Amino acid sequence: MKDLHHLSARELNAAFLKGELSAVKIVETFLSRIEAHDKQIGAFLSTLAPRALLKAESLDKKRSQNLPLGKMAAIPVAIKDNMHIAEEITTCGSKFLTNYKAPFSATAVRLMEEEDAILIGKTNLDEFAMGSSNENSAFFPSKNPWDLSSVPGGSSGGSAAAVAARLSPIATGTDTGGSIRQPASLCGIVGFKPTYGRVSRYGLVAFGSSLDQIGPLTATVEDAALTMEVIGRNCPYDATSMDLPTESYPLSPQLEEGTVIGVPWKFLDQLKPEIKENFTQSIEVMKSLGAKIIEVDLDILKYSIAVYYIIATAEASTNLARFDGIRFGVRSKEAKNLEEIYEQSRKDGFGREVKKRIMLGTYVLSSGYQDAFYRKAQKVRTLIIDAFEKAFSNCDAVMMPVATSGAFKSGAIQDPVEMYLQDIFTVSANLAGLPAISVPSGYDSKGLPLGTQILGPQMCDVAVMQYAYCYEQASKHSRIPGGYE
Amino acid sequence: MANFDHQSLEHLKKLCRIQCSEEETQDIQASLSQVLDYIEQLNEVNTDNTAPCRYVLRGMLRNQMREDEIKDPFPRDQFLANAPDQVGGMVKVPPILKPGSSQ
Repeated sequence: MKDLHHLSARELNAAFLKGELSAVKIVETFLSRIEAHDKQIGAFLSTLAPRALLKAESLDKKRSQNLPLGKMAAIPVAIKDNMHIAEEITTCGSKFLTNYKAPFSATAVRLMEEEDAILIGKTNLDEFAMGSSNENSAFFPSKNPWDLSSVPGGSSGGSAAAVAARLSPIATGTDTGGSIRQPASLCGIVGFKPTYGRVSRYGLVAFGSSLDQIGPLTATVEDAALTMEVIGRNCPYDATSMDLPTESYPLSPQLEEGTVIGVPWKFLDQLKPEIKENFTQSIEVMKSLGAKIIEVDLDILKYSIAVYYIIATAEASTNLARFDGIRFGVRSKEAKNLEEIYEQSRKDGFGREVKKRIMLGTYVLSSGYQDAFYRKAQKVRTLIIDAFEKAFSNCDAVMMPVATSGAFKSGAIQDPVEMYLQDIFTVSANLAGLPAISVPSGYDSKGLPLGTQILGPQMCDVAVMQYAYCYEQASKHSRIPGGYE
Repeated sequence: MANFDHQSLEHLKKLCRIQCSEEETQDIQASLSQVLDYIEQLNEVNTDNTAPCRYVLRGMLRNQMREDEIKDPFPRDQFLANAPDQVGGMVKVPPILKPGSSQ
């Protein structure tokens, strides 16, 4: 058998069910890998060793007594630290919540626990999930296991780094503008953003409520599918949760005959040569599987970053108004009256990027500017949704790169607009509510991983996963970075 | 470009209930000016006959009615465990009314 940490989540589960591996052994292995490697990587904000070992012991006991076991039995899962695990700290990567103990579990977390997944830790993120590099974590930045001087992407950078270095076989992420897919691409793993409303947001600290979705980061497409079968479920505690049955994800390496893939070549005409070459190779793989490739018109997506930074910040400024130092979180000690409690607590508790976005969001919603910015952005958002609808009337899926480059060096991007433009290929899936996946597609000239992105129409999560599986099985680019084998 | 001067930022800080250091203020003002300049490009897009997006999933928006019943109560102790300050089973805040005020 392969080394334990080389096994996918499905393989770990199978080995556990067959009695080849105990749950305790699995947990101990990953905990000791975290111990050995995470000082350099910084993927975790905390580990849940006692809780994880307790769960593992109970699973071993259940198995020895032939009691029924859940779909994710004995699979360690790392949870992005903006999702609640009851009785554990949720920091959201912010000083504001350094000591915040979650009173309940997020629905997605609860569903995985009910299926016997083992929660092993909370992963690092850009503060309140605002960032594309993990450099905005209030505690310390996560590093990319492929090159410790480069960023892992963000905001789910800790989750992506943890899975890439096999410190956990599965991690959860959240994707508001690319925060699952971009770090997955930069770390050479799979990252899936479901259709808006597929996974309940209950227990997730809200950033942009019309954009946020929880999804898996995994080493294989099969593991992402397994996670979705568990967390893709209707939930009465989230009014936007889709009232549809949970789907299963039967995957076949055979691409369905007559599959048509749309590529927005004109929108992609500024690609860097090596990204273009890598992406063209991905298209060739789909062609070799029998897909018909057509060009689709998605030129409107060049405005998607402008639309996104209006809508996401407007929603963030509203959502983050509740962080006032009154009912929870950190309250400034210097404040003498109510006004000062608000202003000082928010001054001390929020990092700079969060302040910027709250201010931008407040500005675009403020009296006299709302029509020019917020309303305008929501109109262009309509045009983006229309453009995708039109494209999908001619094709089954759209393909694009995930990111404009491989991982960049820590501190290399200082310009705010340049940083925001990192998400140019990912934000549109959020603006249009589409399912989208990042799959490893090879390596750049520095040997750092790249990803290709497959997007499908709303609700077509299973189809997107299926195309990604075909691509993955035909291309096989995934591997473990040097030093972590 | 968007009229985003020092005065606008001071007003915005008030609206957001956020204070910043002098250095932070300058950086944020510069960033916001830059981002607002970038956002201006939306004016190129003709949206005369376009309705603003209200809900992203088309055809899926509907009311979700349910009985108004108590479920999963949030016990007071558990709630207060996260409160920065408390007194007598309540969240403690500084006085917001002046002594002698009749309101």
